[in-house]
Amino acid sequence: MKGGWFKVYALAYLLFLYAPIIILPMFAFNDATVIAFPLSGFSTRWFDEMMQAPALRIALKNSLIIAVSAAVISTTLGIFAARATTRYRFPAKAGIMGLIMLPLVLPEIIVAVSLLVVLLGLGVNLSIFTVILGHVLICTPFTIAILSSAFQSLDQSLEEAAYDLGESGPSTFRLIILPLVMPGIISSLLISFTISLDEFIIAFFLAGTEPTLPVYIFSQFRFPSSVPVIMALGTVLVCLSILLLTIAEYFRRRGIAKSGGKDTGGFL
Amino acid sequence: MIKRSRWTKFRESEGATGLLMLSPTALYAILMLAAPLGTIILYSFLTDGYLEIIRDFTMANYIEAWTNDLYRSVMIRSLGVSMSVTFVTVVLAFPIAYFVSFHVEPSKKSLWLFLITIPFWTSYLIRVFLWKVILGYNGVVNSGLMGVGIIDEPLTFILYNVNSVVITLAHAYAPFAILPIFVALEKIDRSLLEAGQDLGESKFVTFCRVTLPLAMPGVVASVLIVFIPTIGDYVTPQLVGGPEGRMVANLIQLQYLKLDNYPLGSAIAVSAMGIVTLVSLVFLALTRRYLKGPKG
Amino acid sequence: MIAFQDVHKYYGDYHALRGITATIRAGEFFSLLGPSGCGKTTLLRTIAGFEGISSGAVMIDGKNMAGVPANKRPTNMVFQSYAIFPHLTVAENVGFGLRRAGLSKDEMAKRVGDALEMVGLAGYGARAAHALSGGQRQRVALARALILKPKVLLLDEPLSALDKKMREQMQVELIRLQRQVGITFILVTHDQEEALVMSDRIAVMFEGEIAQLADPETLYRRPSSRRVADFIGTMNFLPAKILSEAGGKIEVEAEGFGRATVEADQAPGAASGDGAAVGFRPETLTILFEGQQATDREATAVIEEVVYFGDMTYYDVRLDGAKTSTRISMRNVFGRPVLEIGAKTRISWSPGALVLFR
Repeated sequence: MKGGWFKVYALAYLLFLYAPIIILPMFAFNDATVIAFPLSGFSTRWFDEMMQAPALRIALKNSLIIAVSAAVISTTLGIFAARATTRYRFPAKAGIMGLIMLPLVLPEIIVAVSLLVVLLGLGVNLSIFTVILGHVLICTPFTIAILSSAFQSLDQSLEEAAYDLGESGPSTFRLIILPLVMPGIISSLLISFTISLDEFIIAFFLAGTEPTLPVYIFSQFRFPSSVPVIMALGTVLVCLSILLLTIAEYFRRRGIAKSGGKDTGGFL
Repeated sequence: MIKRSRWTKFRESEGATGLLMLSPTALYAILMLAAPLGTIILYSFLTDGYLEIIRDFTMANYIEAWTNDLYRSVMIRSLGVSMSVTFVTVVLAFPIAYFVSFHVEPSKKSLWLFLITIPFWTSYLIRVFLWKVILGYNGVVNSGLMGVGIIDEPLTFILYNVNSVVITLAHAYAPFAILPIFVALEKIDRSLLEAGQDLGESKFVTFCRVTLPLAMPGVVASVLIVFIPTIGDYVTPQLVGGPEGRMVANLIQLQYLKLDNYPLGSAIAVSAMGIVTLVSLVFLALTRRYLKGPKG
Repeated sequence: MIAFQDVHKYYGDYHALRGITATIRAGEFFSLLGPSGCGKTTLLRTIAGFEGISSGAVMIDGKNMAGVPANKRPTNMVFQSYAIFPHLTVAENVGFGLRRAGLSKDEMAKRVGDALEMVGLAGYGARAAHALSGGQRQRVALARALILKPKVLLLDEPLSALDKKMREQMQVELIRLQRQVGITFILVTHDQEEALVMSDRIAVMFEGEIAQLADPETLYRRPSSRRVADFIGTMNFLPAKILSEAGGKIEVEAEGFGRATVEADQAPGAASGDGAAVGFRPETLTILFEGQQATDREATAVIEEVVYFGDMTYYDVRLDGAKTSTRISMRNVFGRPVLEIGAKTRISWSPGALVLFR
């Protein structure tokens, strides 16, 4: 049967996609410094070592501050843009939206160097703050994509009905729109948090002396002896991302179900 | 009828409200994206002094970027890698998109898409590094193949060269290629396919004459969405590319962070973007006839 | 009650409302009827305050509504999509507008209960809104709008999403409800039958203008233009020539009918002119049986098509001397055979059946 071959191919493809993620915990729990087969035994020592690395702790703190700020700011910007594009028509909409969504396809290194040049030119010191600026830029297109679908499934007459029943603009937003798009907002916060937490190049260029987690990880790749700890860290990060994404997907779907829409598929 | 100026008309309109609402996000994009991009274009025409940028207009950076053998070969290699990655990714992705769209039950489609997108969101750096482990001298592939006895000594052509870069990037951009094709396939009215077969075509011919042309907009979108960002990828060539796998992004990073030559770095970056845009436009022009027809 | 004074509305360069002047009486069931894009919904939304107007005035109870936002107007609306808040229960939906009234919990519950009872949904208060059927949503929307005791209830195509049976049931129920609460109902619909069944008066709209404003019977029997006549029910047209006009009577020569006299009130908006047409409804013509008494209003015809409907039969007949065929509807009477295609027959028409159009 035709579908059968497709299924075999699909499963092989999934194996290809998941190969690194499957191998990751093998080395994280492997009792050897060298990252190679065969494996030499089970150990949790790399996790213990990970807990004790001070530089990692600093990088983690930086990354969390950046990811939370980038998530909040880009989701806020995303709410404005998604609301404006789904509800109103105005001149130059396509052009403006094209610019805002550009980071989706623009190589991140271009975003990174162009921001670097401008920030240094303005005399701004590189820090966590400059990384946040860059991350907001690349997270915003994703938040807009998620929030647009949330706002799109919102029937405009719901707002009018609330308004008609005596509510003002702000109270309509609070009582009707916000509760209905809340799942989209949560999903957008989680996704942009995940993107920022994982982003390397922009942080690499803009972090100055305040490394983020990926910058720290990249720097450790140079020292073979610290790679197992990175594998342990990676395992934790992968579990965390999967958890966050599952929650995000749950809220995204609940949002669609709540406003009576139909699920049209993934995040992008 | 009362004469009303264009401005009054606009101010009263919903458009003004929409524009106002979009302005924070738009302003951010203009300040943080458009202006910086403009700046590097400007820089690419300036002269590099050792400690500061000299405000002399010059084409020297472009001449250097386009005539120096090193830069030129890296540029051509990047383009080649990007094209190969795009080809491999899209060709591998199409059957998956087709499978999920046509053979998976509607209730399970979301789950499949979710499974496909998850690896994309998980620690990019570590994923790339693990490809090094998979493809390496003592890696998964080599030990596996030697274990089964297919090869006697480890393959070396799969790491630290262009091949490993292509494999790793094809892995990283897989969801990007699958989703647009999937969306295009989902839009196809299934009764069209039945009509195709009803009119006496075989399943395969129906696929070629109906499904494929209708899926083209999705294929074109996934080609562009993979091609454009891969050319600027930094991490993959850096970690698995070895000396002969270096790409444009590594060159740009070198100019900016190591050599402090902003104008030349900018010229290389602008050139790369120019080439990408040009190739994309040519590709769009070639596929234009598939993209016409009803919008939706 | 509600008065439109030369209301114009532009969307950019598009002229959506072109000088609407009309008055809607208090306590009336009023319909805005027209094809899609005729401006009827726009007009309704100018009453609610969702659309501003470009010039003219919308008055409610003698008060100009310019600058009064939707949430401060004495109107409430039932939306085409019902706009039931999906995250609230039925009771929370119905009580939504009372939030600002500062009622006690008990009073609130009582008012909500009364409103639900009025629309036949007593006991549904705790249900989740998204679990309701189409008809139930419609009732919730009605209860929610009426609980605020508005002066005017605006209904935007409220029945279009229901199936035929449910629609007919809700039509009757809306009429009953309107009599019960006694406030002005303004209904937007594209369904002429619905408008005829439910309304006290109907405004027929085409291209942003009111073509005719009248009670259902006048609208049906004396449409003011061929376009209105065509839109409401079926009307046959045959070319005619005006011979003379005198003393409120107009003598015409019509294809198929020969000479006929129509009263001036059968020629709404008529002025003198040669070219004209007579229009008549299918049920105003009768096929005469053999041996049935002939009148002076008689013509002969050939049957070209027969469509059997159970209680009715539609005949397409060609009147002698006419170039086009004419539809006649006949109630089927037991024992009387359905005629066959090609049969020759005699036709008579009731007095006042013909309407003269220019």
